[in-house]
Amino acid sequence: MVRAYTQEHTYKHPWERVTSASWRKFADPENKRILSHILEVDTLNHNLDSSSGKLYTTRAITIHAPGPWFIRKIIRQDICHCVESTVVDAQSRSMQLSTRNISLEKYIEVEEKIRYDPHPDNPNSWTICKQETRIRIKPLSALASMAEKIEQKCADKFQANSAKGREVMERMCKYLEAESRGISA
Amino acid sequence: MGIFKEKKNSPSLSTSPCAQLREAYHNCFNRWYSDKFLKGEWDKEECVIEWKKYRDCLSQHLDDRHLSRFLEVDGIVGGANLNDSKSSTGVPK
Repeated sequence: MVRAYTQEHTYKHPWERVTSASWRKFADPENKRILSHILEVDTLNHNLDSSSGKLYTTRAITIHAPGPWFIRKIIRQDICHCVESTVVDAQSRSMQLSTRNISLEKYIEVEEKIRYDPHPDNPNSWTICKQETRIRIKPLSALASMAEKIEQKCADKFQANSAKGREVMERMCKYLEAESRGISA
Repeated sequence: MGIFKEKKNSPSLSTSPCAQLREAYHNCFNRWYSDKFLKGEWDKEECVIEWKKYRDCLSQHLDDRHLSRFLEVDGIVGGANLNDSKSSTGVPK
């Protein structure tokens, strides 16, 4: 059983600002309050290809995600580690993020891919964000009948969280816009 | 809805001792990203000292073996299947 869905969102901000916001969205105190399920974000690795202008980054994202009691009983933990890999190509102006869980993977696999590209209709001022999420509950015999319900709840939760993520991104873009005006004024 | 409800005491995390070094590095990185990298100045890496201090701290405190795997192996981007990420392994210096 796999549940997959895609989302698209247009930011009325240039690609440079949106990707800057993406890097900062977990650090801002106000955002931390909204994204309270994100406990820690650590950079584990980075690599700059100075000939092509590509930046590769690996981050660990620790998420607080307690499930229902019977899941907790099996799993015995309510935090989940995810690894986020990012490639930014400054020359072609693209940013790709791919996040997947590396804990609890015996029970559930979640993979989220996000791309930020200049919007084809207005490439210098707008940015299009395409997001694809795939959720797969492993067919545990004890949980088989519940798995579909859990998958749906996970999907609902992810959709709620990505709405929060967009809210945070929009706020961060506004903040960066104001900041750049302040500097250039 | 009982699922995913807020827990009273949030668990303490292994990398918390690195919080200050992390902030210093991330602040430096964010400045570099916006002011240099996006403007085509990608020929040299910055924030090297901040990164080294932060990474040293992580290597001491990151006790989750799943995560330290990513820390130890240099130049590998998570093994994720981004189309572009293949070229990231063993990028020549």
